[in-house]
Amino acid sequence: MSSITLAFSSDRAGSADRADRAGSKRTRPTDVGRVLLDPPGGVVGRVLSDPPVALAELPAGARGVVVDVNASDGGRSDRLMALGVTPGARIVVLQTFPGVVFLCDQTELAVERSVARSVLVRTEERQS
Amino acid sequence: MLTLRARPLRIALVGQPNVGKSVIFTRLTGRYATVSNYPGTTVAVTTGRSLVGAEVCDVVDTPGVNALEGTISEDERITRDLLESDRADLVVQIADARNLRRALMLTSQIASFDKPMVLALNMVDEAYGRGISIHAAALAAELKIPVIEMVAVEGRGLSELRDALACAARPDVPAHPHAGARAVWAHELTERVRRVSTLSLAYVQEALARATRRPLTGLPILVAVLYALYLFVGVFGAQTLVKLLEDGLFGRGINPASIWLADRFIPVPFIRDFLVGPYGVITVGLTYAIAIVLPVVATFFLMFGFLEDSGYIPRLAIFCDRLFRVMGLNGKAVLPMVLGLGCDTMATMTTRILGTPKERLIAILLLALGIPCSAQLATIMGILGGISFAALATLFGVVLFQMVLVGWLAARVLKGDRSEFILELPPIRWPRLGNLLTKTRLRIWWYLGEAVPLFLVGTVLLFALDRMGALTVIAAAGRPVVTGLLGLPPATAQVLVMGFLRRDYGAAGLFTLAHSGQLTGVQAVVALTVMTLFVPCVANFLMMVRERGLRTGLAILGVITPVAIFTGAGLNYVLHHLGVQF
Repeated sequence: MSSITLAFSSDRAGSADRADRAGSKRTRPTDVGRVLLDPPGGVVGRVLSDPPVALAELPAGARGVVVDVNASDGGRSDRLMALGVTPGARIVVLQTFPGVVFLCDQTELAVERSVARSVLVRTEERQS
Repeated sequence: MLTLRARPLRIALVGQPNVGKSVIFTRLTGRYATVSNYPGTTVAVTTGRSLVGAEVCDVVDTPGVNALEGTISEDERITRDLLESDRADLVVQIADARNLRRALMLTSQIASFDKPMVLALNMVDEAYGRGISIHAAALAAELKIPVIEMVAVEGRGLSELRDALACAARPDVPAHPHAGARAVWAHELTERVRRVSTLSLAYVQEALARATRRPLTGLPILVAVLYALYLFVGVFGAQTLVKLLEDGLFGRGINPASIWLADRFIPVPFIRDFLVGPYGVITVGLTYAIAIVLPVVATFFLMFGFLEDSGYIPRLAIFCDRLFRVMGLNGKAVLPMVLGLGCDTMATMTTRILGTPKERLIAILLLALGIPCSAQLATIMGILGGISFAALATLFGVVLFQMVLVGWLAARVLKGDRSEFILELPPIRWPRLGNLLTKTRLRIWWYLGEAVPLFLVGTVLLFALDRMGALTVIAAAGRPVVTGLLGLPPATAQVLVMGFLRRDYGAAGLFTLAHSGQLTGVQAVVALTVMTLFVPCVANFLMMVRERGLRTGLAILGVITPVAIFTGAGLNYVLHHLGVQF
């Protein structure tokens, strides 16, 4: 299973003219845990949790970025990837009972807990 | 651009589930493909003709795919096989504009089939409503293929799509060694061409979406939906409308008139009885089909179509997941199970969306065992609703218990795995009246075309059996079971035979028995329980054989028949010993 850490370019940005910046914003492992500034407005700061936590452990309302899909079984990561749960995807946890429901990009996904355990997420909090 | 071809150009519509392929197919070809708001509506390939420019083309609607390589389900394989073959010359990828990243991951996989393609971004209106805008021209420039923005349900972007077909090209997508690399590429390209603001105009839909999936609000909503279903189908359809048609139209109009005509003009008693006798084609066959089952089926299809298009049904999967896991399935199986309430035969085909062969087999078995089809469901409501709520609850309780028990056993006995529960929930939408009416109309036509002839054939068969004296033989042969074990009147034996021809035909037979006061409350509950659990109709059996082979089909029958009879016997024994009267 490949593990890729991706650029956390904001989903609020990203018009065609910003194409060139995407490369330079790739996070190195050392960047994690620091405040990342969003270049265009420079207003939205985020703190990303370190180390990443499993999606299954997040409370409803938590937001974050997928860093890895850690599945021993290839089928699980294939299916999650196909539904857009890939490193770099932004997620919002919607509910945790009876199953885990989360928003990944614009897709609402319902999964059982064991599946949610293998999705590793860095949570973010907006700075006051 | 006119080209001389040996056969029409074949255009395959490919895309993720629930992005609107069938809507575009219908718009292009004028041929209706069932459109609903849940993934897995289309599980087979449909072809239709369309005029593009001056050329006649074959347009192919395909089952939705999340991926074309790696671990894929049976319906996804159908689409992949199509792309691999020469049955598709050109691919139109339909994408949900809200989910560009996912769509691009699929684009990269479609590109590996090396066919010219066009990308259609559908539902751009919904994307705008959620603050998402896509720079289509920039995307087209990067991929080097035409990119069309569409709102297919309103027909917007359709002529642009037709025009773009002539410019279809092989996309410029780098070859990705693995899914991870593909994800990075799709992510970066999406970031370049998409703009997302926090603005969302879809408050009401989002509130409804939230309320239907949370247990605290979702379960009361489920109860309300079931109650509404009962009121509309069980009371309005099965009682008010049936009364109107059975007593009014047929009881006072058609039947007396045809009997009068037959008495007057048909001197041969054999032919007279064939038409209007106790097993007459008109007095029984047509009456059952039109007066008893049609109103029920029509009201059910209307309500069911509404639920389908609203996007509500997949949300039930969240609540059902744990229960289904006991039966070796996962929450996703709620889709074929609920569809089975419409028609078990169709639902048997829908099991293709399930992950593993074991799950498919269990789902097919449970559909055949316990899920009553629309007509059966409503005759159940019609008969038992008139007796008492406790009677209704007993029946559903027993059937549900049997399904869980058989599912639990099957999960342990059968080899293979359960797949994990990962399900995409479609957005809640207000159903479009046009689609709802078209769908209901076509389903009613389907019922009239498929069921009514079988009702008539069944009646002819019964008439023949009656004339040969075979009915008394069957009743005598069935007596130890029917009268002895189940405590039912002997006449019920023939109803069970009718039930094999079509479940609803048998149920309608019970309906008339109950109406004429030949069944007590307990007998009605026992008979309906056996009928619900009993063998599926011929069409369902043939579909099981088509999907899973003759041996499996026969094995399923071999399991179901004793389960049905012994459950009925047990229920009869318990109810009698407890002195329950309903």
